[in-house]
Amino acid sequence: MMITVSFILASFTIPEQIGTTPQSMLWLLPLVASISIVYKATKLPEINFGNFIKEAAVLFGSIVIFMLVTALILYAIAWFVLE
Amino acid sequence: MTGRRSKENHTIFLLTVGLLAWLIPGAGHLMIKEYRRAFIICVTIILTFCIGLYVGSIGVINPVGAKPWYIAQILNSPVVAAIGYQAKAGDYFVFGRPNEVGQIYTSIAGLLNLLCIVNAIYLAHLCKIEPAGDSK
Repeated sequence: MMITVSFILASFTIPEQIGTTPQSMLWLLPLVASISIVYKATKLPEINFGNFIKEAAVLFGSIVIFMLVTALILYAIAWFVLE
Repeated sequence: MTGRRSKENHTIFLLTVGLLAWLIPGAGHLMIKEYRRAFIICVTIILTFCIGLYVGSIGVINPVGAKPWYIAQILNSPVVAAIGYQAKAGDYFVFGRPNEVGQIYTSIAGLLNLLCIVNAIYLAHLCKIEPAGDSK
């Protein structure tokens, strides 16, 4: 038991290996999910499981789509400037 | 006199809710009997904070070298100060993308907890107002 606890605690003392790659941008998805969940938990007048999941999913999708559109626009501007 | 005392009690109640919400994420909502909200907030904020610590190690909590991030991180709970003290005492170096991801996750968790603290105080304030409105 103590070995397991020590192993878990030790895993918080060494950073994970994350390269500076396009795939590392996927780390934003869990963060967007937690922002959507907490925001909807504070804003909905009543918490019903189905409605809450639906509202959080809509907000999650909205944020991700907005970020994708922003990334595409910035990419297009960069492309025009560099070409 | 009774009204003044009641107002003082209400202020103390609001402060207690805010303090509890800071001590343990979700505890403020638990105090005002918003059990579902409290559970969702507690699990989500603690999980986000732990993911940040796991990715970047406790080295991402740096009260000396990254003060602006630390201000956001300490909004999670006073426990962050103890972790920061430990991190400062030991040599936990973290650079590059793991540092960025860890700092962003732990700081966003803190800012989300600030939102929840404000929301818990607001809901606690409404709890006081609503019965007065119903009595008319």
